[in-house]
Amino acid sequence: MNSIALNIALPLLTAFLLPIMSPHVSSFGRWIGPLVLAAMLLFSFQHFQALDAPEMVALGGFLPPMGISFHIDHLALLMLMAIPLLLLMMWPYGKTKSREEALMLLLAAAASGMALSGDLFNIYVFYELLSVASFGLAAANRTAGAFAASFRYVVISSLGTVLALTGIALIYTQTGTLNLAHIGALANQLQNPVSYTAFTLIVIGVGVKAELFPVNSWVPEVYATATARVTAIFAGLVSKLAVLVIVRMLVVAYGGSDVMNILLVLGMLGILTGELAAWRAQDLRRMFAFSSIGQLGMVLVAFSIPGKAGIIAGIAMMFHHLLVKPALFLFTDQWSGNLNRLSGIGKKSPMAVALFLLFALSLIGIPPLPGFWAKLLLVTGLVGTASPLYLTALFVLLTATVIETHYLMRVAKVMIAGEQKSSPSRFLELGILNITLISIFAAGLVLIVLNLTSVSDQLALIADETSNRMLYIGTSYPELTNTLGVK
Amino acid sequence: MISISLLHWLLYGGAISLIVIGIIGVVTLNNIFRIVLAIAIAEAGANLLLVIAGYRFDAVAPIFTSGISIDQSMVDPVPQAMVLTAIVIGVGIQALALALAVRVYQHYKTLDIREIHHLMMSDIDQQYNVKSLLSPGEVAGERPTPENGLNSTQGSEGQA
Repeated sequence: MNSIALNIALPLLTAFLLPIMSPHVSSFGRWIGPLVLAAMLLFSFQHFQALDAPEMVALGGFLPPMGISFHIDHLALLMLMAIPLLLLMMWPYGKTKSREEALMLLLAAAASGMALSGDLFNIYVFYELLSVASFGLAAANRTAGAFAASFRYVVISSLGTVLALTGIALIYTQTGTLNLAHIGALANQLQNPVSYTAFTLIVIGVGVKAELFPVNSWVPEVYATATARVTAIFAGLVSKLAVLVIVRMLVVAYGGSDVMNILLVLGMLGILTGELAAWRAQDLRRMFAFSSIGQLGMVLVAFSIPGKAGIIAGIAMMFHHLLVKPALFLFTDQWSGNLNRLSGIGKKSPMAVALFLLFALSLIGIPPLPGFWAKLLLVTGLVGTASPLYLTALFVLLTATVIETHYLMRVAKVMIAGEQKSSPSRFLELGILNITLISIFAAGLVLIVLNLTSVSDQLALIADETSNRMLYIGTSYPELTNTLGVK
Repeated sequence: MISISLLHWLLYGGAISLIVIGIIGVVTLNNIFRIVLAIAIAEAGANLLLVIAGYRFDAVAPIFTSGISIDQSMVDPVPQAMVLTAIVIGVGIQALALALAVRVYQHYKTLDIREIHHLMMSDIDQQYNVKSLLSPGEVAGERPTPENGLNSTQGSEGQA
């Protein structure tokens, strides 16, 4: 058994122990949670260092296609490092809320499972676990609005999981298996309308978390009523895991088929609606909520480009959004409310506004910030396809960038050039913890700019590995290659 | 007697209609308890679809007992195991949805989802101190109901 399974077992166990233990040992939750997350980070980092080629772990020693397997590659491990890292930063320090802590750990376990799993039904179970954890976190504010928003979120999300389950059932009728690698090996049986329907159902079902176009009406409500930290986790992490599932399906089972166009169109609609709604928003929190719908639309458009160019652009956009959006949501912890409140804040706290501008500019894609390189990859990928639909997507992307620039610069103008309010702006101070966390994100951004060549080399390697369909099948379905992958 | 293939398609049709009924229910119903029930119906449809996917008319239950020979064909047990899991998950989610529904009722004193949505949006707008986004082009795609329309016109008159 591989120690990577601890990344799921450890937080899951702790999450169930926390509510039992914390009434007796009051400080239990305060140190055990961060400790477990740090251990997870350590395990996944060790694996990332040691991994040369993708590996397969057969759970309980049952080899695929009979047993459930974990597929470990660099993309999954990168996600596995991002999960504890982001949760450590967003951990509710200083507050003794064992419920929220347990939910965070549950989220960590489910997210790790989703990133690793190579079995469709297993992914469904982890997805439901992730959903339950996120419902709890969405309602953790315990205000009337938070309860109402979470209820609507539960309704949309469970409808999505019903659709995803239907899609899984349809795939089972077509292939008779649920192992992703086995489905990939039988991919030529999936070139029919029923399987395309199945893919669409799974994409829409999982897309609830990925803020996909028709099923994202929960986003502005939940993001407006939840705490800034929870919002950062949802936009930064939870959405990316849903995208990862879509990518695995696309690469392994539906490589190069017509379903790419479905994703492309949904992504384009997401970009348009998200950015236009963000342009209309009157407060920072909901502006970023809508903008993350747009950004995730861009990620999906990137992944719908056939071949390696799409994968590399998608991964770059995905991790750029993971780095930038949580930091921007941290600003809204204190800077929420009407934009006019922020008038002239640049004179009061110039450092915070400078950091804000750094993230905003990277989101727009101003060189030399990482956002520019990610968008450049996407643009070159779209141009490289030279098909009318993809060129339409390029047009949409560039229009969206103009809209993005306009609304973010409008905020910047209010902050820097606006008249300073005489009202007490004590409430607008971000606090030491938030500033520290934001600085860590900023440091990450600057580090990427400084090591651009090595980062892009690494990215190309990961994209190579992820887009290699035969490598995935060969690793996770060893009967095809006669290698025993049991560890 | 109806033929097996017709029965097969009838079952598939039934499962898919259950899903469709559930989805239509979630989209059109107003009462939050009915919405939860509609989700339960849709889930039953999805589970039924999964069971049918592994069912064979000429086979026996996938359990070895004394009367069953090794070469007898059996019903695929994998979807049945999965459906058990899916049912348990579904029950958990529905319980959670009902718990949230109780909380929502305690705060807003109504079970009408459109009214709740309206109250929540005005709560959010008040919290963020912005003008209502519910004016002309509504974000969440809600249809204006008589109550909503009445409330908003009354509100604007009051302000004027």
